[in-house]
Amino acid sequence: MTRFAELLAALDRARVDFILIGGVAAAAHGSPRATQDIDVVYSRKRDNLERLSGALAAYSPYLRGSPPGLPFALDKETLQAGLNFTLTTTLGWIDLLGEITGGGGYDDLIPHAVSIEIFGQTCRVLDLETLISTKRAAGRPKDFEALAELELIQSRKSSK
Amino acid sequence: MNSMDKVIEVYKRDVDLTLLDESLRRTPEERIRALQEFEVFREELQEAMKSKTK
Repeated sequence: MTRFAELLAALDRARVDFILIGGVAAAAHGSPRATQDIDVVYSRKRDNLERLSGALAAYSPYLRGSPPGLPFALDKETLQAGLNFTLTTTLGWIDLLGEITGGGGYDDLIPHAVSIEIFGQTCRVLDLETLISTKRAAGRPKDFEALAELELIQSRKSSK
Repeated sequence: MNSMDKVIEVYKRDVDLTLLDESLRRTPEERIRALQEFEVFREELQEAMKSKTK
């Protein structure tokens, strides 16, 4: 089970620069759809990679779906060498994305993020319009139902 | 309208608008808390299924 508040708090405590996307972002915007992981786009700046690896170090991050015992360590060098990581941690599942289709990286998405107050912290969340456009750009059939919901949310919000 | 748009439009017909409107009445924090509560429920359900008796 993913403990959303605790994972977000761990990132916040370490002052990690990230933007919440995916199912939790959709939920923040009003989607009642369930999700099991947290997806974030993180800044690729070196000091942020250090903060990010430090934030998760206490929670045993490991490559999700990989056999146990691999010599994997989520440190800044690993983050620097890779881009997107799907991880398990003792707080649950988290996907760390350096870039997303149709949206680019953290610096590209910052103008399209909104700040919300959740669990006593300020958290950046991808805005609804960009969440929709990036899901559309990804073109994954599994997202089509979620897109239908998000577009209905958008039309309900704009009609108010 | 491309074919992806058409598929999404079909899915829109089946969206439960009562659930959507209930969710929109909540704050973002309340929505994520609801997500968490569902996760707890899902895990409990899975545990219960593991130990079910016939």
